Amino acid sequence: MEAAVDASVLPRPTDDVEPTPSAWAANCHPRYLRLTSNSMPNAQSLVARWHLPLGAVVHPLAEAPPGEEVPVVNFGATSIVRCRRCRTYINAYVTFTDGGRRWRCNVCVLLNEVPVEYFCPLDVNGKRKDADERPELSQGSVEFVAPTEYMVRPPMPPVYFFLIDVSASAIRTGMLQTACETIKASLDKLPGYPRTQIGFITFDSALHFYNLKSTLTQPQMMVVAELDDPFLPMPDDLLVNLSESRAVVEALLDSLPAMFQNNLNVESALGPALKAAFMVMSQLGGKLLVFQSTLPSLGVGRLKLRGDDPRIYGTDKECNLRVTEEQFYKQMAADFSKYQIAVNVYAFAEKYTDLASLGTLPKYTGGQVLHYPGFQVQTHGEKFTYELGRDLTRETAWEAVMRIRCGKGIRFSTYHGHFMLRSSDLLALPAVDCDKAFAMQLTLEDTLLTSQTVYFQVAVLYTSSSGERRIRVHTMAAPVTAEIGEMYRSADVGAITSLMSRLAIEKSFTSKLEDSRQAGQSRLVRALREYKNLFAVQYRTTGRLIYPESLKLLPLYVLAINKSLALRGGFNEVSADGRSAAAFEMMTMPASRLLKYIYPSLYRIDDYLYQTAKAKADPVDLPAPLPLSAERLDPRGAYLYNDGLRFVLWVGKVVSPDFVGLLFGSEVAQSPDSSKAVVVEQDNDLSKRFIAVLNKLREKNTAVYQECLLVRQGEQPRESILLLQNLVEDRTIQPYG
Amino acid sequence: MDFNEVEQTEGLRLAWNAWPSSRLEATRLVVPFGVMCTPLHPLEGLHLLPYDPLLCKGCRAVLNPYCRVDYQAKIWVCQFCYQRNHFPASYHEISDRNMPAELFSQCSTVEYAISQPPNIGITSPTSVYGQHPGLVGAQGQGAPGQVGGPGFLFVVDTCMSAEDLQSLKSAISQILGLIPETALVGLVSFGSMVHVHELGYPDCPKAFVFRGDKEVSSQQVQEQLGLLGKTSQKGASLASARGGRGRFLLPLSECEFILTTALDELQPSSYPVPSGHRPRRATGAALAVAVGLMEGTMPNEGARIMTFVSGPATVGPGQIVETDLAKSIRTHQDLVNDRAPLYKKACKFYNQLAQRLVATCHALDLFACSLDQVGTAEAKVAVESTGGLMVLAETFDSDQFKKSLQKMFARDEEGNLRMCFNGSLEVITTREIKVCGAIGPCSSLNKKSVSVSEAEVGIGGTSAWKLCSLTNKTAVAVYFEVVNQHSNPIPSGTFFFIQFITQYQHGSGQVRLRVTTTARRWVDGAQIQELAAGFDQEAAAALMARLAVFKTENEEVFDILRWLDRMLIRVAAKFGDYQKEDPSSFRLSSNFSLYPQFMFHLRRSQFLQVFNNTPDETAFFRLMLNQEGVVGSLIMIQPTLFAYSFDGPPVPVLLDISSITPDRILLFDSYFYIVVHYGSTIAQWRKLGYQNDPSHENFKKLLEAPIGDAESLLEERIPLPKLIECDQHGSQARFLLAKLNPSVTHNSNQYGQGEVIFTDDVSLQVFVEHLQRLAVQGT
Ligand SMILES: [Zn+2]
Ligand SMILES: [Zn+2]
Repeated sequence: MEAAVDASVLPRPTDDVEPTPSAWAANCHPRYLRLTSNSMPNAQSLVARWHLPLGAVVHPLAEAPPGEEVPVVNFGATSIVRCRRCRTYINAYVTFTDGGRRWRCNVCVLLNEVPVEYFCPLDVNGKRKDADERPELSQGSVEFVAPTEYMVRPPMPPVYFFLIDVSASAIRTGMLQTACETIKASLDKLPGYPRTQIGFITFDSALHFYNLKSTLTQPQMMVVAELDDPFLPMPDDLLVNLSESRAVVEALLDSLPAMFQNNLNVESALGPALKAAFMVMSQLGGKLLVFQSTLPSLGVGRLKLRGDDPRIYGTDKECNLRVTEEQFYKQMAADFSKYQIAVNVYAFAEKYTDLASLGTLPKYTGGQVLHYPGFQVQTHGEKFTYELGRDLTRETAWEAVMRIRCGKGIRFSTYHGHFMLRSSDLLALPAVDCDKAFAMQLTLEDTLLTSQTVYFQVAVLYTSSSGERRIRVHTMAAPVTAEIGEMYRSADVGAITSLMSRLAIEKSFTSKLEDSRQAGQSRLVRALREYKNLFAVQYRTTGRLIYPESLKLLPLYVLAINKSLALRGGFNEVSADGRSAAAFEMMTMPASRLLKYIYPSLYRIDDYLYQTAKAKADPVDLPAPLPLSAERLDPRGAYLYNDGLRFVLWVGKVVSPDFVGLLFGSEVAQSPDSSKAVVVEQDNDLSKRFIAVLNKLREKNTAVYQECLLVRQGEQPRESILLLQNLVEDRTIQPYG
Repeated sequence: MDFNEVEQTEGLRLAWNAWPSSRLEATRLVVPFGVMCTPLHPLEGLHLLPYDPLLCKGCRAVLNPYCRVDYQAKIWVCQFCYQRNHFPASYHEISDRNMPAELFSQCSTVEYAISQPPNIGITSPTSVYGQHPGLVGAQGQGAPGQVGGPGFLFVVDTCMSAEDLQSLKSAISQILGLIPETALVGLVSFGSMVHVHELGYPDCPKAFVFRGDKEVSSQQVQEQLGLLGKTSQKGASLASARGGRGRFLLPLSECEFILTTALDELQPSSYPVPSGHRPRRATGAALAVAVGLMEGTMPNEGARIMTFVSGPATVGPGQIVETDLAKSIRTHQDLVNDRAPLYKKACKFYNQLAQRLVATCHALDLFACSLDQVGTAEAKVAVESTGGLMVLAETFDSDQFKKSLQKMFARDEEGNLRMCFNGSLEVITTREIKVCGAIGPCSSLNKKSVSVSEAEVGIGGTSAWKLCSLTNKTAVAVYFEVVNQHSNPIPSGTFFFIQFITQYQHGSGQVRLRVTTTARRWVDGAQIQELAAGFDQEAAAALMARLAVFKTENEEVFDILRWLDRMLIRVAAKFGDYQKEDPSSFRLSSNFSLYPQFMFHLRRSQFLQVFNNTPDETAFFRLMLNQEGVVGSLIMIQPTLFAYSFDGPPVPVLLDISSITPDRILLFDSYFYIVVHYGSTIAQWRKLGYQNDPSHENFKKLLEAPIGDAESLLEERIPLPKLIECDQHGSQARFLLAKLNPSVTHNSNQYGQGEVIFTDDVSLQVFVEHLQRLAVQGT
């Protein structure tokens, strides 16, 4: 790669930038749907010249601020009004004719009859008189209550099934205890009362089932040690109605830690346990939460240590280590998806657990990987508690399918995220929630687009926790342009970065890391060259980079993608599991979180804290973020690093130990080892202020819990791993730059 | 000679009490030289010696009153092998005025409380007595000769109605009050799957679950239950190899609450049963798991696996029928015609299970309470060879079930359980005779001593047998042959000896050795009168019955009947008193007079005539005969019938249709059924309630007498017989009619003149006439 990008002169994100809503009032809010370019090319040649990926990032259940929730529309007994031909849902862009008796589909231009019950006369402008009262005719996002024809079976209740590793390490690290306490604390908040169902299997070298029948006073434990052909020890009561069996469930959660407190079993029969869980859940579907503390060692799905042969690093085979080689996980994922089961994997091991394989389950079921490497309850307990609690209590859409439609001449060709493609354009999502985003690429079908406007409509058909069938519909229109410049100007850097990061990660599953990085970078270079050629005369520049305002951050972000945990360095520079976990995160993150994750914020915090400690006001004005470069780290200062997943507090060598003492307590201040340091409020203003700052930042990012790690200058290897390697602007750490 | 009286001192009944001294003559006596041995027969004045027995260093026989003793030299000579043995130092004060108890002539049977069972080495190195490793590490009292346990593993079917299950649970709960507190108990429940309850788990009810449709090996069971000290791949020891003790089997005192709770919480199997189907019942898998658990937990310690089933095994090993109700359970006809596809496989499974049970010395009990067959025909071998109890009843609420179960746990005067465990029976003989085999609730220990005959009868090829479980009623038939050649004359009137050595675990936990040394006379074969005087026709009939039933395992019933007939004719020809070719001259001496009718009834008995019974019932009857003593066996073969009337005390009457009259009450006892049959007049009075009228006090007493007697019969039997009260001409009367001699049938001339039995069987009279005719023909 030519040294075309000089990082030091690149523009940097000043702070979290949210995309501005479209000027077209009938468009949905960009928090739900972002196009990589808000102007659609009218010709394939234009796409080719644009060089950047053409597509969209969809975040269908994004949380909306109070007052902006998606309105619910209930047509009652009448069917939902949809285009007869292309099945587009009625939306604000349709036009009414014939005195209001017919409507024209904005997507396929077919003229449809207006159902009698839906009829309303038009005003003088040809607008329906009731248009402003009807959300579906005036807003970009609506949620329809679906009648029975949208059901293939009665809407399922929310189902939470827990598959918990109880082998020795799960006990030793406090994982089991924390999991049980958190689940118990969340019981009141599980969505879907009083229909919610719950069940448990624990496992080590055997599977332990629990009869939770409501009439019991305490659970009955049944052990199945037959791993070759696991089976259910009883037909019912392994999955029970939570409100009916509440007392038994609580009794189980109270006693599980004690039951296994002396367990010395180090084996893990995860595969058989998954099969058993599948058998329990296949009737209803639901959410399967897997808590895994060690490498699966027994039965089907047994995994082995991979990547211990350094000879394959850098070869074409290296990428195999980033995907599973166990057919079992793919098959299991397909089965889970088919039976509406979404899998979340919580991984806690200190050593290799082959997340690439385990993550296959979430990947195809709309699930999520949560990684707590080297979990210890003292340091990571709070994070695990928060995130498990959120997983259990956030609003979840069940047995969902998602489809995104668009106008004639253009179509979505590839999809990127966690789902199973059920047909060419239908994404199966056994469960989907407000923290999951998806990306997709667009292809022009015809050489030329004739229309002026292209419409997109995202529809998610799902079962709500309350047991209603719903369809969430987001509609967006974009103008068609014949001008490449217009495309550049309308580019959405967040959507582009989001899509590009997913493409890069997917490429890393089949290619060398270097090739994955190259692909993105050369795309960037080609795009910038194209732009430069367009405007070289105008700007009279030759050697310098020029870029449109909309894309000024793209070079930095492309660099950041390549330096992300998922893609950086050679094989061995990041642990295999760490790389996998990062990849799974990036494949599901909405654009805004992704940008923060790949280009974190770095603040000098010591001065700020000292200056504002006395003030009781909200900690609003953090100092401006600094470029992510080690040069910026002053040994006399303390810096707060925020990548949206956690905070790292870096303390320079010259900083007085009192500073650490004030924030973490005197014990930590005296110990050279920062790894056990936990932020607990101390009896001083500085500490209170610090915690207020952290909490303020956390409020902006509710998807995860950002724990705050302490690292001191020179404390290796922590300093490198936690901070220095993530300073994307330092070329030293990027030998392949 | 009163053979019953002899039995009271020895516990033995011999078919022949005097034996011809040559092999050739012996074979001419037809009836085999068998002994009905009740090893633990309660004996008057039995001495319990608190020391170890003295053994002959030649043949390991135990010192007994028939040994020649030289008090001067302190030497005794073994009468079996003529070995001279020195008395050990502990006997140094021995003299003709200071004899140890075992030398007193009235002590031909003594019992020793053994101090160190594993080292006793009574027999050869392959000794039966050396096979008790379990005793070494036995937990418990620590007293010498004491062992822990016994163990009781309950294996409970749950494929039944809630009511039935409730009856079963309360029956089991009740016997928990009868089991010694130190006994180890465990629980396995099953429906379509098998649950092994971990009673030692404190945190919550816990069970290990096994599939019901698959046979699991002992190794797999023990592995899955964590009974083996297994080392994981990563080298860490997962579990100490403490077996199932403390986890699955615990002293009752330690787990009573958990066990009671676990029982309480047993629910009828929740697997839905499609209509037109039987529930999926995995009896075989449950037993395979139970046996595996016991193998890994208390091998060679006294224990019973008590199985409660409520219907046929429909899945997995031991399956006897499919779940589909359209397929019926095999009948005798199906077995004969080879139309029972599952039968052989199930038998094979239970045969293997039986071998495993015997190897670890655990008894299998089967309580089958069902209107259907459950598969006892297939499972019989495992129950029988371990001395287990089999009970067939219709419901778990029946007295037959509940009382039988309770009686198993009866205590003796000292408060010890009457049931004994871990027994072995060994036979040592004079050189001139050898042992052919044994038939009874036992299995071979493969002891090849010099006493073992080449000719096998029953379980042969050994001089010792294992009795995993036994009671003081358990009887084993042992068959001998005379091997002395004609050329080696033995003076008439000299004695031969047989020693029966029974080691067992007493209800007190003590290991005991009972030694019975019996002596009988040699007689010249020509002395028919002397031989005949020693003939015990009751013992002979019982011994023949066991032989006949044993033969049913491998031979057609038709052939067995012909064999019985031939044998009887030969006996009659040899011992009858008659003029050749003149049937009317035929007489039998009193010692033989009842023998033909015993054989007549044996031929007609449920042991050989199977078509009115299910295979399960037949198996049950045969199993019962195979462990019953002489008296009980005879009742089974030829039921007793007593008549009660105003004419006086009850009198025995002929087992004949003519015994039924309107003014009599009959008390019929076939061992399995006890019928109180009211003649039509009595029945009418009873219906009219005369017994409640003070002026008919006598009638009331007449009604009470047979009922009282019936109840005392019920009292002494396990399992409890079925008590039937019926009126003449009532439908229940069939239980009586089926057993009565058809002296008057619809074929006979007297048809229409009284009671008739609809049967084509020949009557006893016709049978005896035939016999006389054939016997006098000579051969
Ligand atoms: Zn349309
Ligand atoms: Zn001897």
